[in-house]
Amino acid sequence: MEALIRPELGLTFWTVVCFLLLVLLLSKTAWRPLLQAVEERERALKHDRQAAETARADAEKARAELDARLAQLKAEIQGRMDEARAAAEREKDLIIDEARKSAAVIVESSRREIEAQKAEAARDLKNKVAELSVLAAEHILMKQLDHRANSDLSSKYLAELEKERPDLKLGA
Amino acid sequence: MGLKEIIEHHVLDHIWSRLAFGPLSLPISKHLLMMGIASLILLVVFPLLIRSRSAALAPFRAMVEVIFLFIRDEIVLPNLGPKGAPYMGYFATLFFFILVVNLIGLVPYGATATGNLAVTGGLALISFIVINFTGMKEQGVLGYFAHLVPKGVPVWLYPILFPIEVLGLFIKAVALCIRLFANMLGGHIVILSFISFIFIFGSLGAAVGFAVAPVSVLLVLFMMCLELFVAFLQAYIFVFLTAIFTGMAMHPH
Repeated sequence: MEALIRPELGLTFWTVVCFLLLVLLLSKTAWRPLLQAVEERERALKHDRQAAETARADAEKARAELDARLAQLKAEIQGRMDEARAAAEREKDLIIDEARKSAAVIVESSRREIEAQKAEAARDLKNKVAELSVLAAEHILMKQLDHRANSDLSSKYLAELEKERPDLKLGA
Repeated sequence: MGLKEIIEHHVLDHIWSRLAFGPLSLPISKHLLMMGIASLILLVVFPLLIRSRSAALAPFRAMVEVIFLFIRDEIVLPNLGPKGAPYMGYFATLFFFILVVNLIGLVPYGATATGNLAVTGGLALISFIVINFTGMKEQGVLGYFAHLVPKGVPVWLYPILFPIEVLGLFIKAVALCIRLFANMLGGHIVILSFISFIFIFGSLGAAVGFAVAPVSVLLVLFMMCLELFVAFLQAYIFVFLTAIFTGMAMHPH
């Protein structure tokens, strides 16, 4: 068993040679390409992450811009609508005023017309009534005018008159 | 064949032949073959896996990637600081090499090369060199040794502490080496012992052996799961401790 702890120097030499050759060859053929691949991937990852971050920042900026534009547009629309509403209000007031005024004018002129018409009608009526009454009186008078009655009447009247004014008594 | 021979057969290296290379005699052995297989897997599978764009392989690619990034972000960079990036090749290779060698030891006909003191010694030697090299590179050779003893220590303690710290440098490396070796070896010996229970009890009577077999197999199954976990854990610990020691050497405060 002591052969276990009796190193064979020749094998040590082989080990050293073998291992050093391996280090040289593997460094060139294996580890360098591996490291290159890893670094390339890390670079690609970093690049991708940076690109993604840039894209995100861009998107955020665009969104902020859009938001600002939207807010501005909203404000503008609100302003325009307020303006339009105010203008409409003014217009309405104006129209109503005008309508009221013209209505007043129409009412006034109608009243005046009516007054005039009424006055004319009244005048007409008066004339007609007067005429009619004259005619009627004429007719009545024509009918009642007979001699006996008239003389009775006149004597009666005279008598009365004499009674009231004795000074005017013609005879005794 | 006794238990000792069985265990030795399974955990020891089998040297098939030797090559003379200067003063060294280089063995051609089973553990070398296992390391070769592990290297081949790492050299062929990993580059193909990492470069493949196929969706079916994506989970495996992701697994390698996750482990690599874990080593980078949780082990190397916190300990070594931003200057640790150039050492990632070393730490990642270290982790996957130890892991694959550990895992090959769990495959039938496989042997655990990391259960060999010479192999873990080799890895610890490289760790030792890396730790001290980065420390000297970062602080200068003189600065490195000057900062070896922690700040705020009374001057008269320096003659005692300095040798201890120098010794500590070697002890750290040796501890790395022995920790991995013992962990990988221990599990295998336990598994072999559980399997051997069947035959030990079987020698009392065939019926006893058959009765013990299910228990043994269940225990071995449990140990295999534990070994699988330990394979990852020890690879992680080796890398983690090397990173901590390197960080301490680079930044003495």
